Amino acid sequence: MVEHAISSSAHSSLLWLIPFLPAFGALFNGLTGRSLKSNKIVDWIALGSVGLAFLLSVYLLLLLLGRDPVNRIVVQDLWVWMDLGSARVLGGIAANPLSWGYRFDALSGAMALLVTGVGFLIHVFSTGYMAEERKNGQYYRFMAYLNLFVFSMLNLVLGSNIVMMFLGWEGVGLCSYLLIGFYFDQETAASAGKKAFVTNRIGDFGFMLGFFLLFMLYGSVDFDTLMGMTRGLLARPEIALFGITHSPTWWFNLVGCCLFVGACGKSAQIPLYVWLPDAMAGPTPVSALIHAATMVTSGLYMICRMSFVYANAPLALDVVLFVGALTAVVAASMGLAQYDIKKVLAYSTISQLGFMFMGMGAGAFSAGMFHVFTHAFFKAALFLGSGSVIMACHHEQDLRNLGGLRRHLPWTFWSMLLATLAIAGIFPFSGFFSKDEILWKVFEGWWVEGHPLNLMAWSMGMAGAFMTAFYMTRLMVMTFWGDYRGAGHDPYGLRKPAENQLDHADAHSHSPREVGGNMWLPVAILAGLAVIAGFWNVPSSLGGSSRFSAWLDPLLFRLHPLAAHASVSWMEYALMVFSVFWALGAGALAWTIYGRDPTWSRAKTFVQRFPNLFRWVHNKYFVDEFYEAALIGPCKRLGEMLFTFDGRIVDGAVNGVARVLLVASELLRWVDVHIVDGLVNFVAWTLQQVSLGFKTLQSGRVQNYAYVMFLGFLLFAFWRFLA
Amino acid sequence: MSAWISSHLLTFLVFAPLFWGLIVIAFPERLAPLARLLALLGSTGVFFIALIHLLRASPEYGALFDERIPWFTIVGLPVDYHLAADGLNLWLVLLTTFLTPLTLFGTWNSITKRAGTAAALFLLLEAGMLGALLAQDLLLFYLFWEAMLLPMYFLIGVWGGEDRKYAANKFILYTLAGSLLWLVALLYVASKAGSFAPPLMAQAVQTLPDKVQKTLFLAFALAFAVKIPLFPLHTWLPDAHTEAPTAGSVILAGVLLKLGTYGFIRFAIPMFPSAFIHYAQALAILSVIAIIYGALVAMVQWDIKKLVAYSSVSHMGFVMLGISSMTVIGTQGAMLQMLNHGISTGALFLLVGMLYDRAHTRMIADFGGVASKMPIFTTFFLIVTLSSIGLPLTNGFVGEFLILNGTYIAGFAWGRMIAILATLGIVLGAVYLLWMVKRVFWGPVNTDEDSGTAHLHEDLNAREIAVLVPIVVMIFWMGLHPQTFLASSQAPVEQLLKEAKAPAPRMSVMQVQGVKP
Repeated sequence: MVEHAISSSAHSSLLWLIPFLPAFGALFNGLTGRSLKSNKIVDWIALGSVGLAFLLSVYLLLLLLGRDPVNRIVVQDLWVWMDLGSARVLGGIAANPLSWGYRFDALSGAMALLVTGVGFLIHVFSTGYMAEERKNGQYYRFMAYLNLFVFSMLNLVLGSNIVMMFLGWEGVGLCSYLLIGFYFDQETAASAGKKAFVTNRIGDFGFMLGFFLLFMLYGSVDFDTLMGMTRGLLARPEIALFGITHSPTWWFNLVGCCLFVGACGKSAQIPLYVWLPDAMAGPTPVSALIHAATMVTSGLYMICRMSFVYANAPLALDVVLFVGALTAVVAASMGLAQYDIKKVLAYSTISQLGFMFMGMGAGAFSAGMFHVFTHAFFKAALFLGSGSVIMACHHEQDLRNLGGLRRHLPWTFWSMLLATLAIAGIFPFSGFFSKDEILWKVFEGWWVEGHPLNLMAWSMGMAGAFMTAFYMTRLMVMTFWGDYRGAGHDPYGLRKPAENQLDHADAHSHSPREVGGNMWLPVAILAGLAVIAGFWNVPSSLGGSSRFSAWLDPLLFRLHPLAAHASVSWMEYALMVFSVFWALGAGALAWTIYGRDPTWSRAKTFVQRFPNLFRWVHNKYFVDEFYEAALIGPCKRLGEMLFTFDGRIVDGAVNGVARVLLVASELLRWVDVHIVDGLVNFVAWTLQQVSLGFKTLQSGRVQNYAYVMFLGFLLFAFWRFLA
Repeated sequence: MSAWISSHLLTFLVFAPLFWGLIVIAFPERLAPLARLLALLGSTGVFFIALIHLLRASPEYGALFDERIPWFTIVGLPVDYHLAADGLNLWLVLLTTFLTPLTLFGTWNSITKRAGTAAALFLLLEAGMLGALLAQDLLLFYLFWEAMLLPMYFLIGVWGGEDRKYAANKFILYTLAGSLLWLVALLYVASKAGSFAPPLMAQAVQTLPDKVQKTLFLAFALAFAVKIPLFPLHTWLPDAHTEAPTAGSVILAGVLLKLGTYGFIRFAIPMFPSAFIHYAQALAILSVIAIIYGALVAMVQWDIKKLVAYSSVSHMGFVMLGISSMTVIGTQGAMLQMLNHGISTGALFLLVGMLYDRAHTRMIADFGGVASKMPIFTTFFLIVTLSSIGLPLTNGFVGEFLILNGTYIAGFAWGRMIAILATLGIVLGAVYLLWMVKRVFWGPVNTDEDSGTAHLHEDLNAREIAVLVPIVVMIFWMGLHPQTFLASSQAPVEQLLKEAKAPAPRMSVMQVQGVKP
């Protein structure tokens, strides 16, 4: 099936426009935005480019829909980017030039639709949320960065080879850096941006190792070629690289693990998740677009795209499963103890990403991908909704200072409520279908095939699901129920302890108002999608036809040969019912603690009884501090040491040689002065003495000269006489 | 005139800056502005003439331009005046002619005393560099190689910072000491070959015993390694860079260092193929050490310029790694990375110079919040930094990607370690540069009135933007379509490696196969 899909490809000259329209928007706004008088043009360019890209994606997707499932692919190569020709690799001599090309197929097309669609809504939201920036002239910068992000993300998903994917991969990292640090004059924002970039780079280190290994295995980086060659490579008895010989599966495991390190960085999984909570320092639309809906899911997309590797790498999949499950539960637990509304959502995102990885790890690539989509809707709705809340309450993010907003922000409230039901996994909202599918697939791995790891992962996933429903209910109750605690009204002393007198919440004591239509409408649309999206992939056990899975199917390699699991479907129903009640139970618990009891006394008692537990959870188990002590500190110290080495040893040697030469020349000078010069002086002295003798002759007296002359004459005469 | 230039382009390229420089240097102090203007115009003219003529020629095979006249005979050895432009030096020549006027213009007001003389020295330096890049006769190369030291020595020693005398002496003595043994080796091989022409010398080397070949190679390698500079011979570089005036740093990083790696490609590999293969792994290990070491030391610098200097060590390590991989991809990557480093690091030094001209300090701690004061400058600095980090879309990525690719497929015995550690260098690159950017540019404005930030009153002016725009254009051009720059060296590099790897025809087939008669 996969082999068929790659053989036929049609060309469409419109494909390149999808990524390049936002690129144009970024370029135009970035270059001219500073001098533009009106922000209207910025809006038109930024929104127009993404909107057009969205329409184009819809058009191409419709084009694909009209085709035979195995022919659903559009490829466009623009130019030769790098020539990797004549590299001697395992697959012979690599001859294919690396092209700057795009590939629109079922998977990348759906992702492109998501990126441009959700991206467009978030652009619209930003026109309201970033309104303040219009005055101080930073608005164009924000819009240019957002467009640049969409461009990078589209490169990531549409790239026809792994290097193009890496281009987008790094590009979204850059945009994340720029957007987190958008308020660059704030220390926290600047640090968070840098942390995000560096952590991602650590992940990219693994990613690069992975794709160089792939290049050595295949001699190509092009997805078509890779997919086509996989079967042949697997048929080899063993593969020798770097002087080590192993079975193909061993190498695939290695590649899979390396690439997964990259995914951990980008998709904020343990142990590289630490940047995401800090990334909340960026503006809220950024959190929604980059840190919830799109960029953080690129790790999932990558695994799905590379299903030809992962389907043949059981160990790597186990790693993915375990890390995903661990992240799902640990991050959810950290979400329980946060007061910052965005931090709660950040941990929730990490945890949900963990669920998606669990799905991938269980070999259910399409289930994981489906959760990417539903999560994009409900989490974007939640983030944007929280943005509206923050905006309405004058940049107040602390849950303790909110409350009672149900009446003030009806649109936001209802949108967020629907999204919460979706994320908690209540039937029939989208989260139910996607999360349940994942948990079922994981469970099935134990139930049918007997992998104990799957049972463990499933239990962790269920624990995570419980906490998800709990912290989401807590968030909703603290934000929307009770009384508004921001207007000086705080009967139970729930407000965050003021850090200084200038706490600006006191300055704005009037009650919050619903945000403008350009802000609540996108949230409402996303919430609507969160409600209905589940019906795209209703499993057959509920009478559906798993349309989404069927759509992706021709592109995915399968972990195991298809087996009929129809006989065990009673278990599936049982789990469905169980998980809905499980989530409702968690919600009810949170409601009892925070909703029924306006003083939150139970929560307070709990914190007082286990102060250290709360402190650990609230401070994210001190992982940041651990990294600081275990990695960053030693690295800096090593740098210092090497610098000292440079100055003392290397330069010491150089200067030492110089000194030896100086001493030698000093010696030579002594020789010069005392021996060479002595000799010279001696000669001079001798000559002087001689000349002194002659000097007496030169007396200057005429008599003496006359006398000498006379003597000379005598001698001459005597000589002549003898001759 | 133009007909003469067309037929003697290379001679023109070398001697036009030389004569122009000699004219400009004669200008009296009070005419310094005029002298500087003339130097700028002259070097700009040279750039355009080089651009027009070199790009018009088809860059496919062999030498594009070749000028050869018998020159003189020394102890019975004929020395040719032999210049040639081919795929291996084409872009480096263009880079040199591109950077010289750009640097002069970019540091227009940086040098205040005897500015005319400094500008003239730049022209002389350009002549020396172009001569060294174009020379095909080894003695001619040697002469130019040493000749370009002098202008740089004076630039550092006269116009440099506080510690300029030490830095200048260190620079010249390091390099001279490095090339001393090389001269001996060179004369020895020449006496065996009866010529200074590399092809003949290569043939003569083939007849020498293995040990002698290796020793000779090491003498060559030492001279080139000092220039690159390869660990552990790198310590002259941070001092020279820190003390040199901005323009000197730009040219030093932009072109001078490349002469070392270029020397390997042009002379050391073709002349001593088997010795090079023998030492390739050792060189690769030294390169990887340079990559990691340079990055780690750069991380803890408190002077921005010194940080950039150490980043140079790291980046040049990548170039040498690519060359020592002995693969077409790696060597092509090294060719590109030489240009990348010239553009990006050159631009970084220019930018640091612009900051220094305003703030009169380069200490990282003296800054903070520069982005709020100089947004345009920050944009340029960030783009150049990202190119230096090797972000895709920019030139740095393509170079590093090709080099790493070459390293992975090189087949070193220690291949795994070398490849992994080199990849780690990419992570560290992001760390030290972004940390510096964070401390200097982001965060709240440093309100201390003695701080550097407090002295920043105006953003970049039109002249500075005009200098930086071409650089940014190059950064993206090389990142998006590197084939423009790689196509011309593809065939020569393939040829070079094919000949280097071909077994030396010393033993007969019978002996090799051990067939008993």
